[in-house]
Amino acid sequence: MIRNDLKRAILEALKLEDWQLEETTQAAEVPGWDSLSHVNVILAVEKKFGVRFRNIEVLKLKNVGDLQLLLESKLKAATAGN
Amino acid sequence: MFFDSLNYMLFVPLLWLVYQFVPDGWRWAVLLTASVAFYLVLNAPLLLLALAVVILSTYFLGLRLAQVDDDRARVRYLWIGIAVNIAVLFLIKYLRRLVEWRIPDAHSDAFWSHLFVTLGVSYYTLQAISYLVDLYLGTAEPETHLGHLALYLAFFPKLLQGPIERAGDLLPQLRAPYRCSYDNVRSGLLLFAWGLFKKAAVANRLAIYVGSVYRDVHAFGGVSLLLATYMYAIQILADFSGYTDMALGVARMFNIRLTQNFNAPYMATSVADFWRRWHISFSRWILDYIFKPLQIQWRSAGTFGVAAALMITFLFSGLWHGAAWTFAIWGALHGTYLAASVFLKPWRDRVWASVGLEKHPLRRVIQVVVTFNLVAFAWIFFRANSTADAWYVATHVFAGMPAYVMAVIAHAPEITHLKYLWDPILMEKGLRSFVLVIIAVTLMLAGGVVQRRVRIRHQPLWLRWTMYYGLLLCLFYLSIYDDMGFVYFQF
Repeated sequence: MIRNDLKRAILEALKLEDWQLEETTQAAEVPGWDSLSHVNVILAVEKKFGVRFRNIEVLKLKNVGDLQLLLESKLKAATAGN
Repeated sequence: MFFDSLNYMLFVPLLWLVYQFVPDGWRWAVLLTASVAFYLVLNAPLLLLALAVVILSTYFLGLRLAQVDDDRARVRYLWIGIAVNIAVLFLIKYLRRLVEWRIPDAHSDAFWSHLFVTLGVSYYTLQAISYLVDLYLGTAEPETHLGHLALYLAFFPKLLQGPIERAGDLLPQLRAPYRCSYDNVRSGLLLFAWGLFKKAAVANRLAIYVGSVYRDVHAFGGVSLLLATYMYAIQILADFSGYTDMALGVARMFNIRLTQNFNAPYMATSVADFWRRWHISFSRWILDYIFKPLQIQWRSAGTFGVAAALMITFLFSGLWHGAAWTFAIWGALHGTYLAASVFLKPWRDRVWASVGLEKHPLRRVIQVVVTFNLVAFAWIFFRANSTADAWYVATHVFAGMPAYVMAVIAHAPEITHLKYLWDPILMEKGLRSFVLVIIAVTLMLAGGVVQRRVRIRHQPLWLRWTMYYGLLLCLFYLSIYDDMGFVYFQF
C-alpha cells in the first residue's frame, strides 16, 4: 500500500488528478511519467518530505514501492538524528 | 561475410542444421564457435583479441561485483570495467589515426589494414558496460557461465551492428532449452528476406543517387540537394532497419528474440518520440547510462539541468558514431531539439489550442511532417563528407527553387517535357532506374504497414505463399548487390 502523501506528491508532479499506484507500479505504467518528468517526481518528493536522496539510490529505484521504502528509510534516519 | 553475401546465406543454414543435433548443454558452444568463426573471417586479428579482453574482463569483474558487499570495492570494480571497455573502444577506433601519425600511408599496407578494422567493437563494448552497470545497480544477475557470457557479448547476428542487448533480455534465452519451432524458422526466414529487400532493393538503389550528390555537393543545386537529403533519410532507415531485420530473423531461427531496434521512426510526432523509435537499443543505452545519471546529478538546476543532460547525452551519441565535427554537430542538433522541447513544453498545448488544433487530427500530421524535416536536416551533417559540405547543403537546399517551380509549371502541359519534373540527378541515371527506386520505396512502405497490421501466420495458405513468392520476386528483380556494406558498420 502506497502512503497517501507520497501518492499525492507523485500525482501533483505529474499533473494527474488520480491514478492507482501500487508498490509494483513502474514509471512507464503511469501517464506522463517518462524519463524527462522522472526528475520532477524525485524533486517533488524530496521537497515535500524535506529529504535528499543520493544519486545512486535514485538510479536503483525500480518501482513506486522502492521509492516508498527509500523515503521511509530517510525519514527514519532523520527522526533518529533528531 | 556480410549478411547480404552468399557465404552468409550458406553459413546460416549449415549452422542451423548442426544446431538441431547438438544436446542443449552444448548449444552455447556451437553458437559461440560460429560467432568466433564469423568474426575470424573478417581477417582482423586485433578485433578478436579485443573481443577476448572484453569478454574476460567483463566476466571476472562481473563476478567480483556480485561477490563483494563493500560499496567502495563495488564502485572500484565497476569503474575498472568501464575503463577497460572504453580503452578497448578507443584503441580499436583510433588505432588508424595513431599509426598514421607516424606512418602516413599505413592504410595501404596489407599488414596494417587488417589491424584497422573496427567492426562490432562499438556495440559489444557498450553491451559489456551495460551488463556491469546493471549488476552494480542490482537490476541484473551475474552470469557465472563464461560460455554464456561470451555468447551474450559475441552472438554473431548482433555482433557487428547490434541490437545492444540487455543481460536480462538475452542471457535467459541463451540458457533456455531449444525445441525446433517451425513458426520461428518460417517467420525468421521471412524477416531475413524482408531485411535483405530493404537493404538490397531500397538502400542500395537510393545510395546511388545520394552518393552521386554527396560526393560533390558543390556541383548540384537546390532541388538535387533537397531530394538527395530526403533520399538519404529513407536510405539510412532501409539500410539500418534492413540489417536489424536480418539479424532478428537469423536469431529467431535459433529461438532467440533480439530487441526490436525500429518502430516506424518517421511517424514520430516529436524528436523525443523519434528517439523512442529509432535505434531503440542504443537510445535506451544512452538514456539509462548517460542521461539519467546526469539528470539526477543536476536535478537542482531544474529545466536547465535536464537540458544540459540532454546536450551532453546527444553529443556523446554523435561522437560515438565517429570523431568528426559532422557527427558532433549531428548530435548537438538533436540535443538542441530536445533541450528546446523541454523549455517549450509548457507553451506547446497553449499554442495548439490558440490555433484551434489542440485535439484536431491535423495536429498529428503537422507534428510528423515537422519532426521528419528536423531529423532529415540533421542527417545532412551525418551524411556529408565534411562540415563545409554539410554547411553548403544546409544553406543551398532551397537555392534555385523558384526557377525550378516556374519551369515545371511552364512545361506542365507538354507531355514531352515531363523530364522537367524530374531533377537532373534523377534523369542522369535514367527514368527506368528512378521508377525502380519509386517502386522499391513504395513496396517498403506498404510492407511496413502489412508488418504492423497483419498477422501473416493467420492468413490463408494461398495468401501467405503468394506473399513469400512476391517477396522473392522483388528480391530477384529489384535488388542490387555490390560491396557497399552497411552504413552502420563504420561505427
